[in-house]
This record gives sequence, C-alpha cells and structure tokens, in this order.
Amino acid sequence: MTPFELLQPGSLGEALALLDGADTRPFGGGTALMLMMKAGVLRPQRLVSLRNLRLDAIEANRSLRIGAMTTLRALERSEAVRKGWPVITRTLRTLSNVRVRNVATVGGALAHADPHMDLPPLLSALGAQVVVAGKGGERTLPVEDLYAGYLENTLRNELITHVEIPALGKRGAAYLKCTTRSADDWPAVGVAVVLGGEDRIFVSAATDRPVRINDEAAIDALKIEGDLHGSADYKKHLVRVYLRRAIDEARNAVH
Amino acid sequence: MKRATQSTETPQVGRSVPRLESWLKVTGRAEYVHNLRLPGMLYGKIFRSTVAHGRIKRIDVAAAQALAGVYRVVTSREVREVIPDPYYGPAFHDQPILAIDKVRYVGEPVAVVLASDPHVAEEAVHLITAEYEELPAVYDEVEAMTSKAIVHEVLRPAGTFPDLKHLKDRKNTNVALEFRLRRGNAEKAFRDAHRVFEHRFSTQQVMHTPLEPLVSVAESTESSLTIHTASQSPSFVRIEIARLLGWPENKVRVRVPFLGGGFGAKLYIKLEALVSVLSLLARRPVKISLTMEEQFFTITKHASTFRIKSGVSKEGRILARECEVWWNGGAYADIGPRVTQKSGFTAPGPYDIEHVAVDSYALYTNLPPAGALRGFGIPQLVWAYEGHTDLMARELGIDPIEFRRRNLLREGRPQATGTVMKDAALEKVLERISVLMEWGKPFDRGAGTIRKGRGIAIGFKACVSPTTSLAAVNVNADGSCIVYCSTADMGQGSDTAMAQIAGEVLHMAAESITVVHSDTDVTPYDMATLGSRSLFHMGNAVKLAAEDALSKLNVLRKELGLAADCPIPDIFKKKYGMQAGNVAGAGSYIPSYKSPDANGLTDNATPFWMVGASGVELEVDTETGKVRLTRLVNVADVGTPINPKIVETQISGAAIMQLGFTLHEKMQFDAQGQLRNASFAEYKIPGMLDLPASMVNEAVVAEQKTGPFGGKGVGESGTFGVSPAIANAIHDAVGVRLTALPLSAESIWEKLK
Repeated sequence: MTPFELLQPGSLGEALALLDGADTRPFGGGTALMLMMKAGVLRPQRLVSLRNLRLDAIEANRSLRIGAMTTLRALERSEAVRKGWPVITRTLRTLSNVRVRNVATVGGALAHADPHMDLPPLLSALGAQVVVAGKGGERTLPVEDLYAGYLENTLRNELITHVEIPALGKRGAAYLKCTTRSADDWPAVGVAVVLGGEDRIFVSAATDRPVRINDEAAIDALKIEGDLHGSADYKKHLVRVYLRRAIDEARNAVH
Repeated sequence: MKRATQSTETPQVGRSVPRLESWLKVTGRAEYVHNLRLPGMLYGKIFRSTVAHGRIKRIDVAAAQALAGVYRVVTSREVREVIPDPYYGPAFHDQPILAIDKVRYVGEPVAVVLASDPHVAEEAVHLITAEYEELPAVYDEVEAMTSKAIVHEVLRPAGTFPDLKHLKDRKNTNVALEFRLRRGNAEKAFRDAHRVFEHRFSTQQVMHTPLEPLVSVAESTESSLTIHTASQSPSFVRIEIARLLGWPENKVRVRVPFLGGGFGAKLYIKLEALVSVLSLLARRPVKISLTMEEQFFTITKHASTFRIKSGVSKEGRILARECEVWWNGGAYADIGPRVTQKSGFTAPGPYDIEHVAVDSYALYTNLPPAGALRGFGIPQLVWAYEGHTDLMARELGIDPIEFRRRNLLREGRPQATGTVMKDAALEKVLERISVLMEWGKPFDRGAGTIRKGRGIAIGFKACVSPTTSLAAVNVNADGSCIVYCSTADMGQGSDTAMAQIAGEVLHMAAESITVVHSDTDVTPYDMATLGSRSLFHMGNAVKLAAEDALSKLNVLRKELGLAADCPIPDIFKKKYGMQAGNVAGAGSYIPSYKSPDANGLTDNATPFWMVGASGVELEVDTETGKVRLTRLVNVADVGTPINPKIVETQISGAAIMQLGFTLHEKMQFDAQGQLRNASFAEYKIPGMLDLPASMVNEAVVAEQKTGPFGGKGVGESGTFGVSPAIANAIHDAVGVRLTALPLSAESIWEKLK
C-alpha cells in the first residue's frame, strides 16, 4: 500500500468539496477500499473520511431511514429493523463476519458495486431508494439504479447520504445465497425475493450487478459468466434452485 | 516409580500441562520475527517473474533505483559478487537466490528493492521491468515425464544424500528422482488373481497458509552473520548459508523465536540466503516479510497423479499391487525427491500384500516449487489407495471395514519394503473407528434432496529416517532447570512436551522448566522440526540429556557423601560452599536405519510408524452437489500421549486442515502458468462454519517402545484419512465417485445430473 493523506471533514458540503481533488476517494468503513489499496488496484493520494458527517442514525417509522455511515452491525442489532424488516436482520447475520460488520457501512456496501455483496439485491427487492448528495444538490434513486456494471456505480462525484426502505408489512421476504467453496466465501449466487403486491425478485453475484427478474423463465436470459466459483452452467442452475428455495422461504416467512 | 515432584503430585508425562507459552501469546509478548526491528534496518521487496519459463533478456532497474528513498536494487549480478555459485536446496542445488539467465515459474524472485521504508520499496518494485524470451513450459506432472520443455538443463544433486549422487549432470530430463520398489512377482500374481482392479487418482496443488507468513532478518559484519528467521530448520540454515559463503559454521548464527505455524513451509532455505546476501551487500540489517499472497509463489504442496492396480483372491485377499505415482515438484526440487522416496515406499498402503511394485517419480514443472506439507506426501497416497480400497470392496460386495480387516498389516508382518511392523496399532485404530462410527448399526440414508452417506479410511506413515537430534539440559545451583534444543515451537506445543520429558526424568514440574529456543550459537544441532519427528527424536535426546544431568547429580551426591534424596541446592552448596555452579547433561539421538537396496527393500526402513484413520458422516444436497459434514471421527496411534490435550488438538487441527484441502482449496493456474487465485478472497481455507457439527479426536491406547516414555509423533496423523473418507462417504450417499481433489460441489453436481 502506498502512503496517503487522511482528511476528516465535519460537514457534507466540505466532504463534497474535498472529493473534487485528484486521486481522492471517499472512505466509509474501509473494509473493501483497504483491500483494494493493499492489492495496488487503487492508489489514492487522499482519503476523505465520512465518519464525522453524522450520517449514522437509524430512524424507523412506517418506513426505515438509514444514514449511510450506519455500520452493518448497528443495523443488525436494531430492534426496529428486526421487528419491521426481519429479512434484513437475518441477512446481516451471514454477511461476512462480525469483525467486518463492526466497521463496514451501509453506504459503502451499496456504493462499492460488487455484485457478490448481499445488501444490493436485498434492498433492491425491498424497493429501497438511496438519497445521494452532490455539489448541485440532492437526488433520490432506486437502489438497483446505482449499478452500471461490475464494480461500477452510477454516482457522479456524489455521496450516498441515506437509504429509505418502505414498510414491508406482512409481505413475505427472503434472501438466500449459495457459496460454492468455504461457508464464508463470496456467494456464487444471491437471490432476494419479496412477495405480495408486486413481487420483486433480484438475482445477484452470478450476474455483474443485481438484476430484476419476473419469473423462472427469465433466468435463461441472464448474462452469467463462469469464474472460480463455478461454470456459467452451474451458476445458472444454482440460480434456479435458490430462486425456488427463496420463494418457498418467503412464502413461509413468519413475522 | 515415583514421578511426583515437590510442586505437583501428578506425573509430568501423560498430564495435560497447559502450554508453557500460552500466557505470553495471549498477552502479545511472545517473540516473533515479524515484530523485530533493528537499528538501520532496510526492508526488501521482491520483483517477480511474470512468465512461467523464459530466458531473461533484460532487467531494467533504473527507474526503481532513481525513486527517492530507494537504497539499492539488487539482481543476480550483485548476488554473485558475494556468492559466485548461489544455488541452494536440500536435495538439489538447483534454486538460485535470484533468477539467473532463466526464470522457471511465474512468481520466481528476479530482483529486490531495498529501502528504509517498506512502502517505498514496494512502490519501486512496480517500476522495474524485465524482458524475457519465452520458452515452452510444462505444468502437468505426467506430461513432464516426456515433455520437450526441460525445466533444468542439468541436474545438480546436493551430494548430502548418497542415493541421489548417480543423478549428477543428468541432462534433458524433468525427472529429478525415480524411486523403485519390487517385492515378489506382481505381474504373475495379477495373472493368477480372481479379480484385478485399476484406478487413477489425482490431487491438486495447495498452500500451507501459515498465519505468520515467511519472514527473515539478517545482520552482518564482514565475517559474521546473524539470521533471525521463522524457520523450522535452523541447523540446516546455518550449514547451508555457511556452505554458500564458504564460511565456517561458527560465523553464521541462526536464531528462531516462535513461529506462527509452519506445516513444512518454513523448512530449508526460503528467505534466509536472500537476506544474508542483501545484508552483506548493503552492510545494514535487512528484513523481508512476505505477504500472505507471496507465499503462493514460495512453497506449496505437490499436486500428484497415482495409478493403482490390485489383484484380489476369491476370498477378498489382496495378492498383488502395482503403484505408479507422479509428483509435481514445480520449478525447484526443494525436498520433493525425499517425498518421492520416503513416502513412495508406503504407496501400497497399510495392507499385507505379498507382491508389490512401486514406481514413484519426482518431476520438475514450471509451477511454484512444492515441498512437504503436513504429511510429507502421505495424504496424497492415502487419498488414492483408500479410494481404491473402497471401490474394490464395493465391487466385491464386501463391507469396507471387513475388507480392510482381512487385508490389514498385522504386528510382526513385513511391510512392502520388508521391514517388519512394530508398535503400529493399525488394528486397534481400525476397530476404534468402527466402534465410534457405530458401523454395525442401521444408518439413516436421508430423503428427498438431502442424501446421507458415511465412509472411512485408514493410512500410515513411516517416519523419515535417519535423522539426528541433540539436546542439552542444564541444572542450576538452585535446582532449576533449562532445556536447550533446536526444535521450533510453531504451535504444536513442543516446548511443553520437552519440558514434560525433562521434568519426568528430573522429578520436576514441567511448568518450572525453561526451554531455550533455537539459537545455533547456543542450542545443539537438530535436523529440523518436520515430519512428526521431534517428539520422538528430540524427545529421546532431551530424555538422554536429562538422564545424563541426573546421573551427574547422583555422582556428586555420592562423592560428597550426601544422601540419595539430598535436595539439589544442597549438593551445590556442599560442593562450592555457596549457591554456585551447575550441571550440564548432553543427549544425542539417531535411530538405526538401513538404506533400501536396488529393489527398494530394507529390513529397517523407519524408527516408527504413524497410523491415522477417519470416519465421516455427511449429507449431499442432490440439487446443488453441496456437501455438509455432520460428523468427523479421527483416530490415531501416537504411542503414549505425553500431553493428551495437545495430542487431541493436533489430531483435530490436522484433520481440519485436510478438510480444506479436500473440499475447497486449490491453486488455479491458467494456460500460461499464471496463478488465478493468489488471495484469500479466492483461495478459500475452512472457516468455523465449515467444521463438522460433531467431531471426535482420539488416540488409541498404545506404546512406542523406542519412544520417550512410549511416545511418538502426532502432527500429521490426523490428515491421513480425511480426504478418502469424505469421497467414500459421498459415494455411499449418492453413488458418485470422484477421483480428483478437491471434491467441489460442482464436480458432484456434474456427475449427478
């Protein structure tokens, strides 16, 4: 890893201004960023810490509003989340490990755009929106619109400030993933299902970003490539199996 | 015999003494080379080859040298100013300190940048460029037998092993060693057999993954050198560095504190020659700490292919067996030729077979070098012969345990080499597995998409021989005791075991004894900490040294007219008139051994046998091919456990490590010999969630009569049976036979669909 300067702005405006500099990256929990810097994939000169922006509140009313700097662990332990959106709590328990969850942030997990991550497909299926701030002001977009491709997001020098998740109510929801090597491996397939009203089904990990599908037939059209997790055929097969299992689980989910 | 001491009423041997260093480790005060910083120290970062086989045309270091903060960039040209013939290795002098003329695998060290700041050194490495004229490469061990691509133009055996001498100057071959064993007449026996079975098995290249990556520091003057290194073989390092420099052994000092795991990765020369040369060139201390990822390019475990053929009688007795094993040694021999020979002779398995033919080949290829990894080749062999055994039992309609029972080597019967089995509890281990698995009871086969199966496997190993251990035991004037030995404690608990052995002899509590770590200026010679040899060899040496000290104390008691039970401090007070002096005991141990003849036969192949078996219950998801172990039972013959708790954790640790090699781990190379998964995001070792829900780890009641207090090695035995037991259980569950490791979910699904 090459040496870098760490900046710690105290306001969103200040942070956005600093991000304009060359070779500058925002820094949330750092769990992905640090690995990329160690591997030499990213070599930023300056990191802008978002820690002092006071974006770590979880507000639950009918809907859920989560500050982007909320740690995954705080979300996992939130009583309001467990009551209103138990599928989020269940998912977080198998997301990486407790050491990572203690520092990784919700905003970072969404902005990183790694399709192997669990929250992007799940929050997409839950119909969540992200609020992003740029120098020109704020805009709101659905989580699934954050993604342009593998490790590519659609942010334009913007920062995610909040995630807003509508009430789940009594709808059945499930997220299932399949790891093909060790249990703590990145998933080969992730499937998120929210049933009732308008069914929302998202497939990820096997695809280069979370992809919405409407039925099993749509699986054939998915663009899936073979990698170290498995061949394209195998992963397509796993999507089919796990989709069926996720739908079963969502139907039987008890709130 | 009274074994109790003043401070404890229990005997020392057979007691689960908590590890002596545990307090230091949990409070972060145990010494590791990784924490060592010396004044003026430079950090070295390695520039590595990007091609698998090629002639070096040009190395451009100008930009790296020009980077602010870079002290010096070193290539093989500068290395040769210090050492004209800079090739090292335990079996062959084939490995250059930095690549000379040719590179032989992707990741081979080509140049080093030195800087006071390791980040600057790393940055400068990115500025080095090299041009190669690419040569045809060979990656597969069987292809290497006949490939036109030749990894080494000329073979250079080290000369330390008399049986490798005939290979000197051999040209145009990738075969570093062929081991041959012939007993009886296998060909004729196959013709007479009721049934003949033949199978082919393979294993993949994997890595040791010690949590503490390889690290060495050297500091030097013009005529002396001190190397601080995470090494399992300090005595070898001293001898080999002295040889390379043309210096006497007493000018090279090798210090080894604790190791954060070794498993065979930290043997012989790894970074030691490089940091030595760099320190002599720079006239400053030099440290190189590998990253986790760089370890993939340093030392690995042999991939292998094994063709096995057996002739069986109507009664289910194995009459003849033919074994052909190809070991993928990578670009440098390391200890591969020893694996080929010393494990090769047990390839027919722990069975009583009259007619045996074994051919075992050590091959050079253009992959990272392979050496010993927790089993010295044995897990690769057991994988094949126990899969083969199960397939035969299935075909013959005989219960797999019963089939093994009929053919198992019994005490007093000759093994393939002709060496008679002694103190090898094969029957006990097999029967104990049968009991723990409740083999006779009905077994729930599962239903729907979850099918259940079970399987067992048993393997054995001959301890590598002949090897030497020396130890010293010092008794101070106050009666306290220090043990000096060069065994490296890399987590296996050897300090504790040696203290228990010395304490047993001297009637002292193990907890009161100090064990001094390897320092070749202080501790006596030891061959190395490898192959489960230390408890037996060093244990015997420590026992002899303690007995020597005890007998010297008894002589003093007699000379001074003291009672036989006179406390130790009183002996010294009487002798020297005050608290002064000490008594030093010395012990040296080398077992008897006879080299095999031209047919691989000898009546004394090994000082002791290790036995390990595993039983597995598992579930297979028939829709995905995913396997979940519900129960793993491991039983071993370790002689009499010196420390039962450590024995148990050694068995479980070995089995879990082998579980990773069985189900997940694999170094994946592309067609150009580039490693595709040199990171722990893509090379998956088992985590807590991969452990079986239920695990039993047991040592049978046994005794190694020649071992210290009946004990022998345990570090590897837990690895033997795991892989074939899992494959056998998968076959049992879903009728699918896999013959290549790892047993991935996809490979099972492929066969199920």
